[in-house]
Amino acid sequence: MVKAGLRNSYLLLLFIIFSFILSESIIMGNDFIAEATDMMLSGQKIYFSDFITPLLCMIALGTLSAYLKSIFGKYYSSIVQRDVRISLGKHLLKLPFSYFDEKGTGSIITRLISDIEEMGRFFSEILPNLLINIITVMTATIYLIQMDIMLIVILFASYPIMLIVADKLSKKLAELTKKLRTHMDECTEKTYDAIQGIAVGRSYNLYEVHKQKIDTVIDNMVSQACKSTRISSLGWVLKNVITTIPVIFCYLFALYEITQGRITVGEMLAFTVILNRILYPIGEIVFCANDIREIGVSLKRIQEIYSRLEEKKGGDIHNIPEDTRTAPVVEWKNIDFCYDRSKERHILNGMSFSVKAGEQIAFVGGSGEGKTTIFKLLCGFYEKNNGQYRLFGHFFENWNLETARNCFSVVSQNVFLFPETIKQNVACGKENATDEEIIEACKNANIHNFIMSLPEGYGTLVGERGVRLSGGQRQRISIARAFLKDAPILLLDEPTSSVDIDAERKIQDAIERISTGKTVIIIAHRLSTVKNAKRIYVVKEGKIVEMGNHEELLERDGIYADMYIKG
Amino acid sequence: MVKTFFRFMLIMGDRLPIYLGAILLSTIGDAGRKIASSYLIKDIITAAQTDNTNNILWIVFINFLVFVLGLLLWRFSIIHYNIEGRIGVGKMQKLVFSKAMRLPMSYYEKKHSGDFMSRLIFDTQRASDIYTSRLRRFLSAIISTIIYLIPMFYLNYELTFCLIAISLIAFVINGLFANPMKKAHKRLSNKNSKMIEKLTNILSGMELIKIFPISLKLSKEYEVANKEYFHIQKSTNQLSAGLECVNCMFDLVGALAFLGLGIWFVSMERISLGELTGLYALYGAFRNVFSEIGLYFPQIIDCIANVEKIFEFLDMEEEPEQWGFETYNNKTAVVDKDIILSMRNISFEYNDGRKVLEDFSMEIKKGSFTAIVGASGCGKSTLAKLLLGFYPLGKGSMFIDGKEYSKFTLREVRDRISYVPQEPYLYKTTINENIAYGRYWASQDEIVAAAKAANAHNFIMKLPNGYNTVLGERGNTLSGGEKQRIAIARAIIRNTPIIILDEATSALDNESEALIQEAIKALKGKHTILMIAHRPSSIISADIIIKIRG
Repeated sequence: MVKAGLRNSYLLLLFIIFSFILSESIIMGNDFIAEATDMMLSGQKIYFSDFITPLLCMIALGTLSAYLKSIFGKYYSSIVQRDVRISLGKHLLKLPFSYFDEKGTGSIITRLISDIEEMGRFFSEILPNLLINIITVMTATIYLIQMDIMLIVILFASYPIMLIVADKLSKKLAELTKKLRTHMDECTEKTYDAIQGIAVGRSYNLYEVHKQKIDTVIDNMVSQACKSTRISSLGWVLKNVITTIPVIFCYLFALYEITQGRITVGEMLAFTVILNRILYPIGEIVFCANDIREIGVSLKRIQEIYSRLEEKKGGDIHNIPEDTRTAPVVEWKNIDFCYDRSKERHILNGMSFSVKAGEQIAFVGGSGEGKTTIFKLLCGFYEKNNGQYRLFGHFFENWNLETARNCFSVVSQNVFLFPETIKQNVACGKENATDEEIIEACKNANIHNFIMSLPEGYGTLVGERGVRLSGGQRQRISIARAFLKDAPILLLDEPTSSVDIDAERKIQDAIERISTGKTVIIIAHRLSTVKNAKRIYVVKEGKIVEMGNHEELLERDGIYADMYIKG
Repeated sequence: MVKTFFRFMLIMGDRLPIYLGAILLSTIGDAGRKIASSYLIKDIITAAQTDNTNNILWIVFINFLVFVLGLLLWRFSIIHYNIEGRIGVGKMQKLVFSKAMRLPMSYYEKKHSGDFMSRLIFDTQRASDIYTSRLRRFLSAIISTIIYLIPMFYLNYELTFCLIAISLIAFVINGLFANPMKKAHKRLSNKNSKMIEKLTNILSGMELIKIFPISLKLSKEYEVANKEYFHIQKSTNQLSAGLECVNCMFDLVGALAFLGLGIWFVSMERISLGELTGLYALYGAFRNVFSEIGLYFPQIIDCIANVEKIFEFLDMEEEPEQWGFETYNNKTAVVDKDIILSMRNISFEYNDGRKVLEDFSMEIKKGSFTAIVGASGCGKSTLAKLLLGFYPLGKGSMFIDGKEYSKFTLREVRDRISYVPQEPYLYKTTINENIAYGRYWASQDEIVAAAKAANAHNFIMKLPNGYNTVLGERGNTLSGGEKQRIAIARAIIRNTPIIILDEATSALDNESEALIQEAIKALKGKHTILMIAHRPSSIISADIIIKIRG
């Protein structure tokens, strides 16, 4: 971020130069006026035409530099924003999956987006305004010092007090604003919640309950806002009093100096004009501390993303071996794992299994027993804590991560679709996929006919997260995607959990087709889907508690048999 | 437009006069402060020029007093203004949000809830800007323009006319920029939302990005969107730099011409130097407020467009207390006392023309356990929704408790039925409260008992905060099966004569499903149970199975 800011700093420099020229030309204009006034007051006759040319020059110069100043300043901010966004986008793509899993809720994504916008505001408003205010104040100050140094001393005498007051008030205000914002979020959240659950709310006659809750939050918001208006208006009053008193003293002092004959009336007039010009920027400089403090939070969060380590590239095995017959495709020995924040909750406890090329195995067990975690480890989204994980006979650590992931196709429980066309969503599976390949994949996934029945066919937009499609249709599109990828290992995570029988049959059919010649690992809690698996592993509390094929497990009369009979 | 605006202001009710009064007073206070400080300068300079320093301290003191009084008046009224404005916003928010919960069901199904909520929140926010800032800024710009003009004319009317002329020209030129600026900003915001969409793709599609070869594509797309945005930004910058440049020119021309002219006037002794300086200070303030009129007027118009959308929303038809007589097509039929629910010759089609039920009839006995099966899309879920009165009936008649549906309000109907939808919705609050939504005054013991009956107690106790665990959005911190069990507990605690379960056990593993089946069986007799299912395992214990063919 800083780099992008520095790389284009020549633009910022140009911006500063032209700002300087602008304020200089204003000051010079004032000099002329002051001179004229003095001449006039001393009884000399002045000709307006004497002044018109330099004044016009001044105006032309000022106008031009105002334009250039603005152009360079804005160009700088746009370019920096663009660069930071692009590099941030690239960086995000390289972060480890755990980062998103940790932060993966919608609200945090929204926050990140607003952070990036805040960052844009920093470069487009705050920074240039701050600089321009500083420059205006500095040039004007230099001018005033030449006139009379005491004026400056008096003028700035009150600023330490102002700084302290501004700081105190701004902290208090920031606190209140934060509270207000929490209330606002709460209000949106509560309403959103009530509306998303409208079917429940309505059938349970919960209207009054929800309305009362939302109203309470709104009332809180109102009283919070009342509190902060008291403080902010007090701040405004103090700011005005504190800035005005030294100005009055300045004037009185200047008056005194005139009576003493040390400065002229013309100079005093010029002084008035300049003073009017810098009073506002001086206040701004002090009070922009608030803005900076607020944006600082966003900038810090962005910086934090930058400081996150990128995902490791992994080892240097770059090829999937041709001959996959010899070693097991995947082999786990005593794998332990827990999501690192809560060390006490082990998800996997000494998990071992292996699968050979072309085999189909399955993991079954209740929800929350760690089945989905197995997939996350297989794909290298997380690193195991202990144990050995071999992929095609090589330790997983030695694989280049991207190559290793190329070995897997995943059809997961919650299908994510991009808010684009069906075609684009399927095409994710393979780079530069042709239309024929896409259609072929969709046919195999039993979704082609459905797609063709849509008015816009493959060009149909699926909507946010694929909301315009049913669960089964989304699932089949994700299968088509997996078809296109054509990876040697297929991971299926409860692919038929939330669809009806008809859709399940279509999905089952598609899965059978995609599985031919592949190594398949299924996670399921519906035992009907796993009957044909070569080996079934029963997972309980992160351990394999039973293993065997369907018949063997039934004979064993353990957990699996129990589950089967009850199902 | 004007009508909308007045209607909007009337939402404030009898507090409107206080609100408007506060705006007026705060403007007067603020202007008084500024006028006092420019008179202060005027007096000092006059003293300097005439060498008459008698009384100067006294004059300064009086001016300063007016200044402080102005500030205090401003503060007093601005506080009241803000409070009234906020109360107004609160009133409007309450209107909007409670309306959002009273629309007919078909509305929610048609619109993606996220879309319509974010639009609504955006519109409400923009509209409330009128109360909390825009209207005051605009009105006070007009009021203070007038206030400043009075002493300016008093000081010197000829110069004041010249100044107004310069300001008017600047005003007109700014107006010329307004339209292209607006267009540019619209293009900019379109590109911005495209950029955000691409970023959202990256953030929420991370799992796919790691597995499929799309990271390059996505990063390129984001980059392209960024560059397009940059491109538009560049041309917008040209425009706004142009505007800034013009304004700066008028600023300079105004200031320098003013001083030039002023000096000329002074030399002709038509104005004193002190008056001139005072006039200049006033002119600075005047120029600001005058350009603000032009700045804030279009903003108010923009906000009123949002207000219009809100009124459109508020004027939408709500779900009625009960569906009218004709919708439930009364045939004064008699229903057996045993029959708690009855549907006769029902046909239904959705607004989009999808026909789901045709000439469908069924009778459900009190205390029975009925399963309804059929292929997806045949209208099983629609059936449940019709029974709950979510839609007006097309053709046919429905009876509950032996009486026509139209004899009851929808509230009364729904008080007789507990519904567990296909995708169980849990609210973002504690598990306790989620269950208690079934019966708001339920005791903790009752909640636990219901959770036990739904086979949810054990897993709830395993959570670190037990029943006080706050769930995530849509209850997403729980697995599908866990959510379903809490939804069932909610239905059980409600203790209504009828329970409708729509695929309520689909996400459960076999073991918990079996346990819940047990629980449901136990409810039979005391309650009438209607179970919509497509898995044979869930209907084994049903007394009657109704099969619907599409």
